[in-house]
Amino acid sequence: MRHAYGRREVLRGVDLLLRPGVLAGIVGENGAGKSTLLKILSGELRPQRGTLRHAGRFGYCPQDVVINDALTVRQHLEFFRVARGLPDLRHAGDVMDALRLTEYADERAGLLSGGTRQKLNLTLALMHDPQVLLLDEPYQGFDWDTYQRFWDLAARLRDAGRSVLVVSHLAYDADRLDESWRLQDGVLHPGTAVPA
Amino acid sequence: MRRHLRLFLTAARFDLIEHARNRLATVLVALFIPSWISLAHAVIPSRTVTFRLRATGRLLEPAGNQITQITGAINAVTLITGFMMFAVTFNGGRFDRRLAMAGYPRVHLVLAKTTSLTLASATIAAYATAVIHIAWSPRQPVALAAALFCGAMTYGALGVVFGSLLRREVEGMFALVMTSLVDVGLQSPLASGGTGSAAVRLLPTYGTMQAATAAGFTRTLPPGELAVQILWFAGAALLGLLAFHRRTRDALTARPAVRLPWPPGRRQPVRPARATSAPR
Repeated sequence: MRHAYGRREVLRGVDLLLRPGVLAGIVGENGAGKSTLLKILSGELRPQRGTLRHAGRFGYCPQDVVINDALTVRQHLEFFRVARGLPDLRHAGDVMDALRLTEYADERAGLLSGGTRQKLNLTLALMHDPQVLLLDEPYQGFDWDTYQRFWDLAARLRDAGRSVLVVSHLAYDADRLDESWRLQDGVLHPGTAVPA
Repeated sequence: MRRHLRLFLTAARFDLIEHARNRLATVLVALFIPSWISLAHAVIPSRTVTFRLRATGRLLEPAGNQITQITGAINAVTLITGFMMFAVTFNGGRFDRRLAMAGYPRVHLVLAKTTSLTLASATIAAYATAVIHIAWSPRQPVALAAALFCGAMTYGALGVVFGSLLRREVEGMFALVMTSLVDVGLQSPLASGGTGSAAVRLLPTYGTMQAATAAGFTRTLPPGELAVQILWFAGAALLGLLAFHRRTRDALTARPAVRLPWPPGRRQPVRPARATSAPR
């Protein structure tokens, strides 16, 4: 697919196949077009050229934290449970336990720290047990323990047959990935040869 | 049916919680309305002001401080609902989109927002009427409250439009304050003596001003003027709906509004973008 902002062409022909049971990553420098690509994959943005097919329900964690400061964590979960027509919050509870978010259930989002807000941002993307996970810099603001727990969770989901795509401007995590690409000059290249 | 009711009630409950947690709006309702209306009564001279009410053609001679209370109440209720709706629209735009893309029907979200605007407008209009009633007795208090309610709804819808279109918070607040200043200022009988210019008929709270003045000082209510106000609300609400629809659309399912034969900036016709969607 291709996409441009005005005359600046950000994506110049990206072909990407995300298979089930794969933990994949896309790295690239700031402004390389990673978030644009993920916005297109998630439906936030319409590509100017190209075709996109989703074979299963997916969850999208945007780079910016998109939550409502006036609502508590529990109220967020209830709002999205109703949106997605889920019978219960069992899977959301598992994700919250994995990220150590459960203890903040009755806190208002506006009063949470940056890392905890990001945990909620991520939980909202994963709470319906999606088959495809599109995660844009999902561990921003996490402390080291939470960062490790995030990768444990991603690996567990991959082992359960989910497709996980993580976008990052860092290449630290290359050895945790099954497949990786580098986004440069609007095209995906195999490997992660990008300075961390 | 139960699913629709659950979707509506859930969205309405969380929308009302969000409004209730807007502390500045709560303070404005609690303090600004009584302060402004009481000060208008205490500070403005009570000598009569003579002007012709366009809606009925009658010559009215109310006390200056009483007519100022009515224009002040219109000013206060419209600014507060405009500010409340601007704040939730401006801050919650991306959250609404996330909800819609997660499967929340936009119809239920819109109905919930309209319900909370209606409740807020009714409460604020009744409160402002009650404060006026402490100083003097308007001839038709229920009609006065209804007129204020329609004005509050109109500015609430304008708040949604500004919240959707403007990019900075200060721009929205400035747009609301300036709109209200021009709108109420040009119509105020105290300032204009009931201007003969037909241009005032086009102002956003013309219907409210005419109906509220008639309700305050006469026994007749001009239904046509309230209908004009409802039309203003409908127009602003339609613009707000279009903006909400545009902001919350899903590119995986939406068709482009205008299908170009080729993408912008390219000379050669190419295959148009295509996408398929699955539940998220």
